[in-house]
Amino acid sequence: MTPTATETAAETATGTATGTAAAPHTSAIIATDRLSFTYAAGTRPALDDINLQVAAGDFVGIIGPSGAGKSTLAAALSGVIPHYWKGSFYGAVRVDGRDSCEQSLTDISRTVATVFQDIEAQMVAAIVEDEVLFGLENFGVPKADIPGRVTDALDLVGIADLRRRTISSLSGGQRQKVALAAALALRPRVLLLDEPTSELDPASSVQIFETLQRLNREQGITVIVIEQKIMLLCAYARTLGVMDGGRLVHHGPVRTVLEHIEDLETRGVNAPRVTTFTHALRRAVGAGLPLTVTVDETESALRRAFSGAANDTTHNTQGERDVYAPL
Amino acid sequence: MAGLLDYTDGSSVLHRLNPLTKLVLAFAVCVAAFVTGNLWYLAALLAFSLGLGFVGGIGRVALRLLWTLVRVCAFLFVLQLLFIRAGTPIWLFVTDVGVATAARVSLRLMDATMPLVLLLSVTQASDLSGALVKVARLPYRYAFTLMTALRFIPVFTGEMAHIIQAQTARGVPFDTKNPLRRVSLILPLCVPLLVSSVGRIDQAAISAEARGFYLRRRDSGYKDYPFAVRDGVALLVAAALIAAAVLVR
Ligand SMILES: Nc1ncnc2c1ncn2[C@@H]1O[C@H](COP(=O)(O)OP(=O)(O)OP(=O)(O)O)[C@@H](O)[C@H]1O
Ligand SMILES: [Mg+2]
Repeated sequence: MTPTATETAAETATGTATGTAAAPHTSAIIATDRLSFTYAAGTRPALDDINLQVAAGDFVGIIGPSGAGKSTLAAALSGVIPHYWKGSFYGAVRVDGRDSCEQSLTDISRTVATVFQDIEAQMVAAIVEDEVLFGLENFGVPKADIPGRVTDALDLVGIADLRRRTISSLSGGQRQKVALAAALALRPRVLLLDEPTSELDPASSVQIFETLQRLNREQGITVIVIEQKIMLLCAYARTLGVMDGGRLVHHGPVRTVLEHIEDLETRGVNAPRVTTFTHALRRAVGAGLPLTVTVDETESALRRAFSGAANDTTHNTQGERDVYAPL
Repeated sequence: MAGLLDYTDGSSVLHRLNPLTKLVLAFAVCVAAFVTGNLWYLAALLAFSLGLGFVGGIGRVALRLLWTLVRVCAFLFVLQLLFIRAGTPIWLFVTDVGVATAARVSLRLMDATMPLVLLLSVTQASDLSGALVKVARLPYRYAFTLMTALRFIPVFTGEMAHIIQAQTARGVPFDTKNPLRRVSLILPLCVPLLVSSVGRIDQAAISAEARGFYLRRRDSGYKDYPFAVRDGVALLVAAALIAAAVLVR
């Protein structure tokens, strides 16, 4: 993985960037090279000079404000651009080492299983079970394996009980799970998910990310997930990409990207509240405090940082409680 | 009409018949109704269709459907009586030929509709298309198109209902009694609905392709649709219905 490529750093360090980019290219399962795209109906680029390398086995989160171009990026990574959406396309996308323009959408989908943002429109069947069957039948999974695959996929997202239900009778969140199960059943090398938890309750969202993490760790499936809930990305993703105005403005290990907390906030991407808190605290009391992401981590970091000063005054602990309160 | 073609789950003989057998049976009743002019036989066919509903465990659906059809046909019946002038008058403008013809047309209409609707409501659309592809050798493309069209009907009607609800809430008088005014309010909504549905269908095509649609072959389908003894029996019944229609003409 290339370290953070911020907007400013990318310009000054183009030479070194291409130098280091050569190595991850070989292990990257998906890579974009100066990718730009403008919709035929659009006036300004929806994707602007995107250089993204996704290493095989990585867990990548993509975040950014509405209209930043996240879904457009998903379309480019899944081959829908340039095979379906027309527009001006510059640069290249390589999926499993081959240019996406030179493979058909069907070829790309052997590597990448995608769940698009519009769940409603991507259902092909009337019944949950048939929806999951569809891809398995098409890709020629041996008939003996099919029932097991369907059961596994439904179990993974926790909807075994919905197997015989009609899709039209499901809630939005349940449909999202069905779409996810249909993608998981294919056992792809790359899972590309566009806001898979947008209609899920917090508990189900966590369950989905737990599942993704397990698949990523145990089966080495590369996960690329577009997600608005920063907490989930910070807790589960290894790499974070931040998009704004069609550009990939930050990209790198989650904590490295979070260091740009002030820039993120100006772009409308709020860091987790504990991170905002430790960041503010760090600025107030000076360095020596790591940027934290989870509550537990923050607690132990605070204990460590203030263990010396704790018996000085009671003022400190008082202050600590005050800042803790809004968490 | 909403919900009339909805699948009703069950395990009756009718549910377990091969989808193609059901199509043939429904078609046979249709053919029989058009071959015969015998009013008694036409009535018997109607009773047979109703019986199918009860065998399939959807007697209530069958009765509801019958009631809808009776109302439509009563209207047709009166219309025919008004226009058919042949034969000898029996009461005011009504002639004997008029009564017979009107009754025949109305019964035929009911006979042609009932079995098809009833058998479709005990058949899952996916099974119908699966059997059409595997057994009747229909190219999968067409079966898929048909299925998608069927699947999108409730999506669009639902969307339309949403728009109307939202507009009513904003004071647009969709609840007006004047049908012409209602139509003039609804027509402009069709354009945005059409635009959004074209986008939807694009997205559906993309996601089908991204899940290997073009790799699909005739034998890709997981389910098989073999013919069983009960299918043989049902096909014999179908043949008998047509034969009897020819005999009693
Ligand atoms: N089919 C299209 N034709 C023209 N412009 C489009 C089209 N689809 C998207 N756009 C534009 O491209 C830009 C990026 O859109 P995109 O859907 O990728 O954003 P997004 O980051 O996924 O937003 P959201 O979080 O709302 O899903 C937007 O300015 C949008 O208006
Ligand atoms: Mg989007």
